[in-house]
Amino acid sequence: MFADEDLDSVSVESVWRKSQQGAQESVRVKRSATADAHLVLFCVTRFWFCLFQRACQTPAVTTEHAGVQTGSKTSRFTQTEPQEQMDPKRVFSGSGSDPPGLVDFLRRVEELLIRELEKNSRSHAFDGFRANWEERSQQVSHLHRLEHPGAQEQGLHVTAVSWSCTGSVIACAYGRTDDGDWTNQKSCVCLWNLDRRGLRPKQPDLVLDVPAAVTAVCCHPERPALIAGGLYNGEVVVWDTSRTQDPVLAQTGMSADSHREPVYQVFWVPLEKKGEFGVLSSSSGGRVLLWTVDPDQGRMVLVAAYAFVQQQVPHSSRLKARGGSTVGVTATALSPWDPDTFLVGSEGGLLLRCSFSSQTPAAVTSEGRSVTPRAPAVFSFRPSGGPVHSIHCSPFHRNLFASAGTDGLVQVRSLLQADPLLSVRVSDSYVFQVQWSPSRPLVFAAATGRGEVQIFDLARKSLRPAGTIQDGAPGRTATCLAFNSQNHRLLAAGRSDGSVGIWRLSSELMEQRPSESLQLEQIANQVAE
Amino acid sequence: MAEVEETLKRIQSQKGVQGIIIVNSEGIPVKSTLDNQSTVQYSALIHQLVMKARSTLRDIDPQNDLTFLRVRSKKNEIMIAPDKDYFLIVIQNPSA
Repeated sequence: MFADEDLDSVSVESVWRKSQQGAQESVRVKRSATADAHLVLFCVTRFWFCLFQRACQTPAVTTEHAGVQTGSKTSRFTQTEPQEQMDPKRVFSGSGSDPPGLVDFLRRVEELLIRELEKNSRSHAFDGFRANWEERSQQVSHLHRLEHPGAQEQGLHVTAVSWSCTGSVIACAYGRTDDGDWTNQKSCVCLWNLDRRGLRPKQPDLVLDVPAAVTAVCCHPERPALIAGGLYNGEVVVWDTSRTQDPVLAQTGMSADSHREPVYQVFWVPLEKKGEFGVLSSSSGGRVLLWTVDPDQGRMVLVAAYAFVQQQVPHSSRLKARGGSTVGVTATALSPWDPDTFLVGSEGGLLLRCSFSSQTPAAVTSEGRSVTPRAPAVFSFRPSGGPVHSIHCSPFHRNLFASAGTDGLVQVRSLLQADPLLSVRVSDSYVFQVQWSPSRPLVFAAATGRGEVQIFDLARKSLRPAGTIQDGAPGRTATCLAFNSQNHRLLAAGRSDGSVGIWRLSSELMEQRPSESLQLEQIANQVAE
Repeated sequence: MAEVEETLKRIQSQKGVQGIIIVNSEGIPVKSTLDNQSTVQYSALIHQLVMKARSTLRDIDPQNDLTFLRVRSKKNEIMIAPDKDYFLIVIQNPSA
């Protein structure tokens, strides 16, 4: 229908005025024959009936001819297969037309399905049945005993252990747990990589020398090279083990902002900006401080400060105020479910629930501190009978946490009520640390003053421990323990003779049973009398 | 349509039911009570499983065919009722 054609240009000479624009140049037009005829007619009529002339001009059109030749040719074909698009917007149409045949299908199938569902809910066919996918070990077995002879000569105890985020490196902090005085004793933090082939238990892979005793250590949850530590003299230090010259990345130094008393716990907390972490440190001077790391200057910058004063602690009618005016914080725990809540235990046995975002200023004199301290305590639980050494929030239930102190009891408490839900007598002497298992909701482990690590399973009806780990000579306190969150089989326990034992747990202590979450829920919903 | 919704509600009200997904014969979810990501995951994987189970049975005995498939796991049980055009997948936790 349409074909390209070259037609001569049409020009009509003006009868009224001489043309002003100069030579009109011909313009090549490619159009269909019929359309062109109309155009010609139109132009002609325009020129005959109007009294003025319009002219247009285009700049010179240059044309060139060039020739190209291909030397060799290949031809290829491709084809794609139509992909089945899973269009998520198309599905789950609550309203609108249902696909054809759906109603009939459901009619056919519904009765059969409901019968099967009912039978299944009543069935006992699979009770206690478990498939054997992995080799099951019945016992807890000892894997390694890690020691640092240099620290042992000085008589240092292991004060804290922490697994790195990859689960293969363990960091052990040395210091003393029985000293009450200031010491100038140097100590160290030792790292062992357990996945290395040439693991030497008597020789750490890396030794970080520290000028004072280390009382707390925590590995960064995302970057395996960063380790935060709290010292006996109140400093908080961050080490970067990937640096060869000076592993100290940042430290607080002894400024007006820092702690004055031993730092008993350090944690990495996620800050508001995603991906960044700050260090939360708590000391027995009654202060909890949040720092960010400034690696260029090698300093830690104080971001928020929380101070505990006896008058500002919320009291219920049954609680009596104990001790002096400051509340010495000996244990802290972060809640993995609620980033705003943290729990604090004190030397006097107080247990407090606190909030990061509280705005009430603390009743302490801020002597030259850059950030005004706030009072974060929101709720006070029934105090335990002695200093609280350890608190840990359950990773499986948002309201449960366990607390342990010098009275030999581990109390399972709920965030919602003041009284403990369960008290489990773990040992006759002090309990230094308690931690929930990362794989079984009902299991927790406690490090006792007798040297044993007791593992309790709340699913059992009896009050005796499900497992006891006794390493070497009794009489040496087990001061700290840590479950490996990547490799759920491993448990590290540090002792006062300077050795750290790595244990592999039995399958029973590790694998979750089908109704455990339900039982945990039941425990949490109990109301204490 | 109301009848489809009512049927789904009846099934959902059975003890321990955690989720229901209806998948068409190509493996594309048509209705679901779970969130988007889980639904897409379940429907793609279970569709393959049902096809494999059916072909296994028919290879063993060509006169036989799959009527119902139950997959029991540590945490729950997945029940699949297959048909020519659709599958109905129900996830139930019997001990809950």
